[in-house]
Amino acid sequence: MTARAIGRQLRLDPGAVMRAVADEARALPRPLRVWFGFLAVLLAIGAAGALRSLFPGDKGVGTTPTVEWGLLIVGYVFFAITTSGLCLASSLGTVFGIERFRPLEKRHAILAVLCLVTAFGIIALDLHYPVRMVLGAAFNPSPSSPMWWMGVFYGTYLCFLLTEVWSMFFGHPRIHQAACVLSSCMAVIAPSTLGAVFGVLAARPFWHGPFTPLLMVASAFLSGTALLGLVFWVVRRFELTGFVRAAELAIPAVRQLLLVGLLVVTALVGREVVTGLLSGDPGLVRATDILVSGPLALPFWLLRVISGLAAPILILLVPIAAMPARVALASSLVLLGVFVDRFTFVLAGQLAPTTAVSGVVSAPHASYLPSPVEIAIVIGAVAFVALMYTLAERYLDLAESDVHTAIAFPDIVGIARRLPAPWQHRPRPVEPGEEPER
Amino acid sequence: MTTDDSVHTDPRSSLPAISRRQLLKLGAVAVPSLAGSTLLFDWMTSLTSADDSAATRVDPIVSSYDAAAHRWGFVVDTTSCIGCGQCVVACKEENNVPLDGEHTRTWVERHSVAPDGSVAVDAPEAGVGGFAASAHAASGAVQPGTRTYFVPRLCMQCENSPCTAVCPVGATYRTPDGVVLVDEQRCIGCGFCVVACPYGARYLVPAGPRTPAGVAGVADKCTFCYHRITRGRQPACVEICPVGARKFGDLNDPSSAVSTILRERPTRVMKASLGTSPRVHYLGLEREAEA
Repeated sequence: MTARAIGRQLRLDPGAVMRAVADEARALPRPLRVWFGFLAVLLAIGAAGALRSLFPGDKGVGTTPTVEWGLLIVGYVFFAITTSGLCLASSLGTVFGIERFRPLEKRHAILAVLCLVTAFGIIALDLHYPVRMVLGAAFNPSPSSPMWWMGVFYGTYLCFLLTEVWSMFFGHPRIHQAACVLSSCMAVIAPSTLGAVFGVLAARPFWHGPFTPLLMVASAFLSGTALLGLVFWVVRRFELTGFVRAAELAIPAVRQLLLVGLLVVTALVGREVVTGLLSGDPGLVRATDILVSGPLALPFWLLRVISGLAAPILILLVPIAAMPARVALASSLVLLGVFVDRFTFVLAGQLAPTTAVSGVVSAPHASYLPSPVEIAIVIGAVAFVALMYTLAERYLDLAESDVHTAIAFPDIVGIARRLPAPWQHRPRPVEPGEEPER
Repeated sequence: MTTDDSVHTDPRSSLPAISRRQLLKLGAVAVPSLAGSTLLFDWMTSLTSADDSAATRVDPIVSSYDAAAHRWGFVVDTTSCIGCGQCVVACKEENNVPLDGEHTRTWVERHSVAPDGSVAVDAPEAGVGGFAASAHAASGAVQPGTRTYFVPRLCMQCENSPCTAVCPVGATYRTPDGVVLVDEQRCIGCGFCVVACPYGARYLVPAGPRTPAGVAGVADKCTFCYHRITRGRQPACVEICPVGARKFGDLNDPSSAVSTILRERPTRVMKASLGTSPRVHYLGLEREAEA
């Protein structure tokens, strides 16, 4: 039995596959071999961290009863919302058929699947009994729990994404169109529910409230768009499939989306800080204080506000260099900024103590430091996405196709142009036997 | 479309086309293997967390006990508490709770109210060793006129508990007699109930020689010593307290100590504004200090 993979016809037995992979590795250009080697080292670090964290009750993480959600939860949130952002950004092309966003189509779907699978992997390592989660959510549903709904929505989202990818590569246009629409809907519902996991907790004033799901969706849009910006810079830089349209359409499109996302998130972060400091709730004031002038102040101001919001806005608006390079730089800063934002968000809700919890003095605030295991897992997760996407870029056909135009959208603009303007004279309908008006 | 086992490349994509038979064969091998290996993995990792305490643990479920006939309540008298920490020791011994201060079912806080109204709160090692006068929350000289009192803390067994609402698999639940328990065989160790609790009453059990339910990585908290109260006894912390600062009883019984206190004396609950309706009431709590 044979199959075609990595550019050649392979016999499907382990020896032949190993020899083929080794031959392919030797045939790789040197820069690519260096890149794969670097990612392999990072993956090994991640694997070591993952293995260490497999033991219930002894995961080697830095969390405590006071700060129970740490870097692994941050990593899960980051990858989950990036998945949603990728679909939100590309829905303008896949769902609404806007031409300038069409180049985003295939690449976003692969990245979305990779990010969501990575998110699930990280949360599986964070949970002490992950298998029970799957079985428990299915056989003991808990509709009062936003975490249960989050599991349902993200699980459904993964099914839609896999359908999207399968139908994209195996030429099922109508199924693909439907999957894109459903994925785009889930791209709003799922991060909103993830925000609700934090937002329903009255015990944590910093997380509590209706703006948490909103900020989660806005951050999702930002990180997904930024990842696309980075990827399309790579496509253009290394002249990969579709690089001409990437340069002409995708990169300017991403720039527009990034600017919109940055302005929205800047407004939401500003609101968060101002209302937090002026609030009548002492717990919220304390938590916001920790964020802006306490132990989280340095990452918040330096990496979140200046580097993650202000600098990208300036870089995108001021023509200091060629646009692709500016979009790539801004995208990198935004990605880092969103990660730091989720980190400070998760911690600010816990460092301000609700009380001197569990016997530990936490006045004026609790403390948390990510353990080497947690850092290793997040490094491994990033390397996994990078490695798998590089393989996809190299071995899959990522050329644009007509699979996204199976269902014709009504040409609203064209119809509008053909109709007379409201202030123009419209002939009265002609009765039978009458002469038409001249 | 051919029906033999040969694979042909679909010209529409760069991925190999597989026949239905091959896909079914693959599924028949892959799905049971994946399911079996994950269940095996789960069983193996649960072995590493089991310990001898599982063998000696008293089953909290008593067939002759009618839960619906009782409505348990708890009163803490902060005017009586002397901060000896005996309740914390008794709880850890009775329930095989880890000995460190962070992972504890109950703890005692020292609240020091300075003349200017500021409150400093500390609980060194959950108060298990009492409170040395020299080691003070204010980490320095005690201002003249500072008033100090002790506040024992435990799970509030809320009637409107956030923890039961947020559990994604229904592992934490409320019994008919008003005690919130955790099913350690169902808990996935996500920690949502830990962060959701406004009173800091929960923790995830660390692996080690002392695990209350014989399982590490699951949520744990005060259960009012459910295995004792279902057999007509008092919780260990109530029984051991030398000054009667902790009182436990049946709210369905008007002559019980807790019913009498709630009827005749002004009590308060913590964080009433959250609407959790705690079953634990406090006497003499001047104000809630949020350290």
